[in-house]
Amino acid sequence: MLNKTIIYTIIRLLNFCLSGLLSFCLLFLSAPLYAVQITLNVADVAAPSFTARGIKVVLAQEGSAEFNIDELHLAGQTWRKVHVHCSEFLLSSTRVTCDKGKLDAIPDLPFTFSYEFASQRLELRFAAKANELWQVSADFRAQPWRATILLRNAQSKRLADLLSPDWPLPTQGALNGTLMVHGDKTGVSQINADLQLADVAAADASGLHAAEKLTGTLHVDAARTGQKWDWRGALDWQGGELFWQPLYLRGGHTLLASGQWDGAQLKVTQAVANLPGVGKVELNALWDVKKSNLLEGRLVGKNLTLAKGFTDYAKPFLEKSALSATELTGLADVDWQYLNGATQALLVKLRDVAIVDGEKRFALHGINADIPWHAQVQSVAHVAFADGELMGLPLGATQWQMQMRGQDFILPTATLPILDGKLEVSDFRMHSVNDMWQWNFSSTLTSISMQKLSAALHWPEMHGSLSGSIPKVSYQDKLLKVDGTLLFRVFDGTVLANHLELLDPFGRAPRLSGNLDMRELDLDLLTRTFSFGNIQGRIDLGVNNLELVSWLPVRFDAKLASSPGKYRKRISQKAVENISSLGGAGGVAALQRSFLRIFETFGYERIGLSCALRNDICTMAGVEDNGNAYTIVKGGGIPAITVIGYNRKVGWSELITRLKRVSQDNKAVIK
Amino acid sequence: MNNLIKFCFALFVLCVSATASAQVNIEINTPGVVALKQSMQTRHTQLAEFYASGAVGLTSDGMVALRDANAVPLAARQKVNGLVAAENQDRKALYAEIAHANAHPEWEGDIRNTFAQRWIQRAQAGWWVQSGGGWSKK
Repeated sequence: MLNKTIIYTIIRLLNFCLSGLLSFCLLFLSAPLYAVQITLNVADVAAPSFTARGIKVVLAQEGSAEFNIDELHLAGQTWRKVHVHCSEFLLSSTRVTCDKGKLDAIPDLPFTFSYEFASQRLELRFAAKANELWQVSADFRAQPWRATILLRNAQSKRLADLLSPDWPLPTQGALNGTLMVHGDKTGVSQINADLQLADVAAADASGLHAAEKLTGTLHVDAARTGQKWDWRGALDWQGGELFWQPLYLRGGHTLLASGQWDGAQLKVTQAVANLPGVGKVELNALWDVKKSNLLEGRLVGKNLTLAKGFTDYAKPFLEKSALSATELTGLADVDWQYLNGATQALLVKLRDVAIVDGEKRFALHGINADIPWHAQVQSVAHVAFADGELMGLPLGATQWQMQMRGQDFILPTATLPILDGKLEVSDFRMHSVNDMWQWNFSSTLTSISMQKLSAALHWPEMHGSLSGSIPKVSYQDKLLKVDGTLLFRVFDGTVLANHLELLDPFGRAPRLSGNLDMRELDLDLLTRTFSFGNIQGRIDLGVNNLELVSWLPVRFDAKLASSPGKYRKRISQKAVENISSLGGAGGVAALQRSFLRIFETFGYERIGLSCALRNDICTMAGVEDNGNAYTIVKGGGIPAITVIGYNRKVGWSELITRLKRVSQDNKAVIK
Repeated sequence: MNNLIKFCFALFVLCVSATASAQVNIEINTPGVVALKQSMQTRHTQLAEFYASGAVGLTSDGMVALRDANAVPLAARQKVNGLVAAENQDRKALYAEIAHANAHPEWEGDIRNTFAQRWIQRAQAGWWVQSGGGWSKK
């Protein structure tokens, strides 16, 4: 037999008005009285920022209670099928208490709860092993009402369910400290937090934002006036590591900050961050929280140490640029101003700065600069450096004045000392089009000693000079283009280089193309320089359609021929042997076997050799061609010698190897 | 009849040679290809452990990607970022260089697709590869 009583009631709990349909189902089991239990069904309970639906309470005779809640909303979170067990439950006219309580979601964290109706005092205490404690004490009758949350060895991972899954969620570590909240009828009006973090770890699903072994303290005071909060905070990050793609930082940072918060925008009116090994930076900002958007910002730092500052805070953003392997040292003052979605000003002063490329492509030392860049206003930058290096070439001291306006930089004239000469640059202009930087300039290269140049580039020592007038050098879409002609005066002749183009100069496989036209080179000087065996005379060498990839030739049409005109033409036996050995060792042997070995030098009429390089094969031709044979040196005078090559197709790599005196097959013979 | 056969044969030879001339030589060796392959080989010794751990995977477009940063110790994540960025720069340059060496720069996309399939085919067991937008363990 079942008796049922239904009671409609309004209950007041925690000073919030809770309303609902409470159905007391008194289940009097027909038989033994010791099995009596009471089941209460509550349709829903609602309060500001709190609702519970489908509540079922079962009160057992021995004093325990079971609470089942189908759906619970609290502080923006939703839990479903919540089950609470109270081993000792007491509901009287003065108080409600739950001792030895247990939540199914956190079975290892038993709790006690008590609420006194008259004094409106609440005590909630979760305690577990290892001295873990989460304790809430609240007095709702006080004006303003207040609540204190005490944390002791509180395991941070328990907060994971309360936080947004888009953020790094705590996985381990403990929190200690207190959080005090005051409020009135309109809600929370004051917050004071003092927290210590111990070995806290957190990570988001992608692992791109994560922290490990974080230790430190956080102090926050915030007070509300109307809708506006004034806050002040201090963060002392003492240890641990943080990866916030692409930044990786270690402890030692401190931050003091204050500002306002109006529910939509977070304003940092003043903040001072101490960056370890770098220096202090002051910043202020206005952040639109809903749109995750920086509206205004300013960052000012003086005497910042660039070595660590660049490595820690700038380089991670430059992995895909030519600066990814760059190291900076020296000191800098920085003032960055941001407004309306863009940087409005960047004022930089550099003191004794060095910038060095890890791949040894460039370096500048002793840089002192004042660069007051503004997006809208024209200004002038002063840049000076003591020395440097570009592709192995030493650069001397110089100073420049650059006009700047937005993304347009103009250098009317500039001098770049290179070895004992200099590059006089005029009308340098760099600007950004569709976020791609392009630049151009015209220049004159005044005489550089070839002796110094060859020494700097670790070439065999050469004499002569390098100079040139370059009407235009331009860089656009990774292509460096030289319009005009570079003039080298080497080996008492001239070398003209034109149509030079360099694709992807800072890439792994730069591609250079152009033409070289060499006239009247003195073979005596040339052969002495390269220890080839002496040849006297003059030659012209044209190299058209030259293409180098990674600075090695992949294609050209080269033609070497004796220069027109009258001059002494002699070739030494050693030189003949070397030319012959390019075709193989047999030629050398043939010469040494013949009576010609008694002569030191021979006369010749003409020298000529051409090579068309394609797919690592050099197709050869000579002064005269006769079927498969071609004459490299045509004899003349007494004693005369003629060198004939028979192999027209020679592997380029093989030829280079042979040039390095590794002789193999005999393909050239001596007549 | 004999002439017809000869004509057909000549036509066949012409077609075959035309097809052959349009084929890309992806094994082509130029100094650029050699430099890029060397650079990639050197880096591979550093990347191999991250392929094996699943942190880095091979994408369906012939690149590599940081797939699961959680598989990398925190202090090494920045290094992996750098390795992935450098590897992708080299891979992109390699495809462009091979296309250029074949005298058809416009083939870069096809060469990239061919390499993408080849990298995935040659991937070791346990490495993660991308197909159809999703990741799977080989």
